[in-house]
Amino acid sequence: MKVLIVEDETPLRLSLLDYLRHDGYVCETAANYQQAHEKIKLYQYDCVLVDLTLPDGNGLDLVRTLKADNSPAGVLILSARDGLDDKIQGLELGADDYLAKPFHLAELNARLRAILRRRQFQGQRHLAFRDLMVWPEQALVLVQEQPVTLTRKEYDLLLFFLTNPNRVLTKEAIAEHIWGDAADMADSFDFIYTHLKNLRKKLQDAGADNYIRTIYGLGYKLMAEE
Amino acid sequence: MKLLTTTNRYYLALVTVLFAVGTGALYIGIQHALIEEVDEQLELHHGFLRQRIRETGALPPVTSPSELTISRHPRPAGLSDTLIYDPTERSQVPFRELSFSVQVRGQRYWLTLRKSLIETSEVLGVVLGVMFTVMGLLFGSLVLLNRWLSRWLWAPFHRTLASLRRYRLQQPQALELPATPIDEFSELNQALAQLTQRVTADYRALKEFTENAAHETQTPLAIMQAQLEQLMQLPDLPAAAASPVRELYRATLRLSRLHQALTLLSKIENRQFTDAQPVRLDALVRDKLGQLQDFLDAQRIEPVLQVAAPLSVTMHPLLADSLVSNLLQNAVKHNLPGGQLHVQIDARTLEIRNTGRPLAGEPMQLLGRFRKHNAASDSPGLGLSIAQQICAHYGGQLTYTFNPVGAWHTLRVGF
Repeated sequence: MKVLIVEDETPLRLSLLDYLRHDGYVCETAANYQQAHEKIKLYQYDCVLVDLTLPDGNGLDLVRTLKADNSPAGVLILSARDGLDDKIQGLELGADDYLAKPFHLAELNARLRAILRRRQFQGQRHLAFRDLMVWPEQALVLVQEQPVTLTRKEYDLLLFFLTNPNRVLTKEAIAEHIWGDAADMADSFDFIYTHLKNLRKKLQDAGADNYIRTIYGLGYKLMAEE
Repeated sequence: MKLLTTTNRYYLALVTVLFAVGTGALYIGIQHALIEEVDEQLELHHGFLRQRIRETGALPPVTSPSELTISRHPRPAGLSDTLIYDPTERSQVPFRELSFSVQVRGQRYWLTLRKSLIETSEVLGVVLGVMFTVMGLLFGSLVLLNRWLSRWLWAPFHRTLASLRRYRLQQPQALELPATPIDEFSELNQALAQLTQRVTADYRALKEFTENAAHETQTPLAIMQAQLEQLMQLPDLPAAAASPVRELYRATLRLSRLHQALTLLSKIENRQFTDAQPVRLDALVRDKLGQLQDFLDAQRIEPVLQVAAPLSVTMHPLLADSLVSNLLQNAVKHNLPGGQLHVQIDARTLEIRNTGRPLAGEPMQLLGRFRKHNAASDSPGLGLSIAQQICAHYGGQLTYTFNPVGAWHTLRVGF
């Protein structure tokens, strides 16, 4: 899957590049409006990550260009301007999602995956991981071909792990993904642990290994290998 | 004190002094003129009597003893004042008298002519009466004139004052002051227009600065957060580094939350949320309580929601969301395990009561910025400030009371 990262801040661009490449995406980058404009005119991408404030132009114009060209690429806006207007305008122009800076890389990845899943009609639409298979369209979870019943929160949690396998997910990133702004108030994240414990138990009862490991002091990780 | 009252006081003082002096001078003047007149009449009478005595060679007949007396005893010649008992008036009456001597048939007689002064004092009375009436009328009309002047002449001033009261720094249109032909007022209006222009320019510059600063801060925060998350992914991250990385990461998140809260506060203060629509707060509370279910379960709290009447407030949906979230989150976060949370809503108020730790000091102080009940808490202590700011923005009021009996904390929003 081919992704274009349009971001003028070099360290952030490199972090995004590194994170997404690690996940098997084919990534290209553009550091300014001019480069980005050339690339979207020349090549096809599955998704474009657009920073709105570029030194030589407005990212919203890139979204306009993509839509004017009837590009099939998904668009995810990244903005440091925490303005509601930008968000509304961006989504009205046809962007698929909007993420305000600063964001968790895992959250970005989850949003990117969701966009790609929605857009790829011909491709495989399920997520598979070892004994696990998830069909997000039907919210169906299978362990060794057998369906497992999960609560809404447990399902969200599992999907977040599946979109970020082999990554340390911090409790903060998990809380923010699942509880949104309300996560701010959680001084302790004990209740994450409760949900996680239930999820682990249900998966193990269905015959899966304990994939979700606690990384001491940092967070949790979905392990690909034993 | 009103300007009019002050000027009226000075007018009154001036008029009183002028009238006192004027009345005194008039009194003395008129009295002097009247006596002069009487003296002249006495002299005329004197000349007439002498001529008659010379022609007839006999003394005139004494018809009224109060007006003419004839005596054989010598008297000092000339004009003088005297008091004579008047049986009709039953009092001593002032008289002016003129004495002189005549020679009739070798015999010397002393004649005294008198004229009553009682009429002159009556004249004085009339004069003073007229004076006081005039003074009263003059002062009364001055007061009325001033009232009229203040209504008409000062009208531009009152219009300026009204425009100033309506003026808001945040509004895009400049201060509009009506034109006036009076120099003083047009100078005042000019000075005010210039002042507000300068202040508006400063305000805009400051606002732009805040916005740019906010934007410029978000980017490095995003870099820090992304880099720290990358660092955590390293499979060979030494255990000794994990803890500092985690602390840095948490601090970055705190900073970013703080930054978002401050940006929101300054946006509310700058009145950047102009779109408003009716929002059903009771429905919003129900929604938010649903979203907080996990947090409520974790604390074993069963919220009680009582809606006596639907509460609809015209406000920006984002701010309504922020208000309700902040109040409810506050009530959950500072609650006790197994505590209580009651929400009561009627057509004008939203009241959130929760059990919590006892509070020392003034509860309203916790609405201030960076005020925290628990100083060691990770949260920046801006939630209630934001709630208060939102309430104030829509003309509502947020009050915080604490009842030590049962340690109930009550936050009440009145619209």
